[in-house]
Amino acid sequence: MIRTENLTKYYGSKCAVNSVSFNIRKGEVFALLGPNGAGKTTTIKMLTTLSRPTEGKIFINNLDVVVDQLKVKRLVAVVPQVGNFDRELSVYENMLVYGMLYGVKEPGPKIEKNLDALGLLKERDTIAEVLSGGMQRRLLIAKALLSEPDVLFLDEPTVGLDPHVRREIWDIIRNIRNNGKTILMTTHYIEEAEMLCDRIGILSHGSLIAIDTPGNLKDNIGRYVVEIPSSNGSGRTERVICRDRAEAEETARRSDNRVVIRPANLEDVFIQLTGEMVEG
Amino acid sequence: MNWYPVFYREMLLFKKKLCKLGYVFSSLLFPVLYLVAFGMGLGRRVNIEGTGYIEFLIPGIAAMTSMTNSYNLVSNSLSMGRLFFKSFQVVIQSPLPHFSIMTGIVFSGIVKGALASAVIVLAGLIIFRAFPFSLVSFLGLLLNLILFSSMGVVAGLLIRYPEDNAIYTNFFIMPMAFFSGTFFPVDNLPAAVKGIIMFLPLHYTNILIRSDELSKEVILPISVLLAVSITLFLCGAKLIKNYSE
Repeated sequence: MIRTENLTKYYGSKCAVNSVSFNIRKGEVFALLGPNGAGKTTTIKMLTTLSRPTEGKIFINNLDVVVDQLKVKRLVAVVPQVGNFDRELSVYENMLVYGMLYGVKEPGPKIEKNLDALGLLKERDTIAEVLSGGMQRRLLIAKALLSEPDVLFLDEPTVGLDPHVRREIWDIIRNIRNNGKTILMTTHYIEEAEMLCDRIGILSHGSLIAIDTPGNLKDNIGRYVVEIPSSNGSGRTERVICRDRAEAEETARRSDNRVVIRPANLEDVFIQLTGEMVEG
Repeated sequence: MNWYPVFYREMLLFKKKLCKLGYVFSSLLFPVLYLVAFGMGLGRRVNIEGTGYIEFLIPGIAAMTSMTNSYNLVSNSLSMGRLFFKSFQVVIQSPLPHFSIMTGIVFSGIVKGALASAVIVLAGLIIFRAFPFSLVSFLGLLLNLILFSSMGVVAGLLIRYPEDNAIYTNFFIMPMAFFSGTFFPVDNLPAAVKGIIMFLPLHYTNILIRSDELSKEVILPISVLLAVSITLFLCGAKLIKNYSE
């Protein structure tokens, strides 16, 4: 459904995205995981026609994103990181304008249905500017779904939201996935990527350094982590990644300090691959 | 009619702004003040080329108002939407051809500028009981609105920071308002200044808006305004087509 080949973006002499290639299947939920500045948003901008690649190709449903822009735009919708709705307009007016821009036939009933599905029907006539952060994010999703896109791009869909609102947004994303949409999302929340996505691509400094299912990514580095507190009182913790539980217990026995054995997570994968933290 | 959703969006946003004092003051206060102050101060005493000053001033201020409003409202809306609120990106990412987006924005600029000019025309009628316009005047006004709306799109897409809008306005639009024959005939200016004025589109609008009929004298102004409008429109459409962040 989505294919990139050596996707590259330079801003002046700075390389924001460096030869990124991946393939996303129809109906798949795929996450680009990485810290701020890894190139996630730039990649989304190129995939959604907002930014032209310096080099490389993007195909969505076998259409070249640069050559067949208008056809691609009909297939995709974007939920951006920044609330890009018209602040002075009401929730309904925002939806109506979006529906008109995308040529939605008889948008009225569809708007009502989408607002209802996203729990925004009561806010129909509220000015978008005064909605809470969570409501604004719902409005962006409701808008994006109005054109019934085949592919939905979500750029950091839960950034800056309270934990309970974040979980509500996750439920919405799960529902969208269950309706068969292909979803590409960016996130720097490990838990989010792990819970929602079929596959994950790890971006670091503009390069895609790993791509696989969450399970395989963890298996590839080792299933368990032994956390060993530093004996010199610095407060640091050393992480030792082990292939299996037996190796982890053996490592723990060799240590003089109190250690913690836990299953490996994507944060461990990220640190192992890049030497950085994802969530900064 | 692909342009209509873009036009409709701009009009919805404009409707909300219309009721705000900020819009009324920034768009209409100065032109009305100029009209009242210059008109009352000089109107009865000064004659220009055989006509009263009021009859000279009202079309000039109407042209100036159409320029400042169509240009400023389009460039501000576009640059703020693009750089600050990111709402212009919704339009850019929609499956509308670039010419449709350009047409929708320019039409909205025409309406915004025309409304402001209408206030000046009405003010002239009510305060001075003067209506110094012909059909050619309205053709001039329309061309002026198309030209400066298109220029607003080009400026709105080219500026890198919202505050750059003021640079374009202060160094290009405002001097043009004063030196293109709005308040006094350009014939009285030094030759060197007149040479520069020949390159200012508002100068040709002022000739057209004060013309009574289609004659040989209006061919050049119409041609210049048409040529500049088409050039700016095509530039704006191309900038939209090639938009990239």
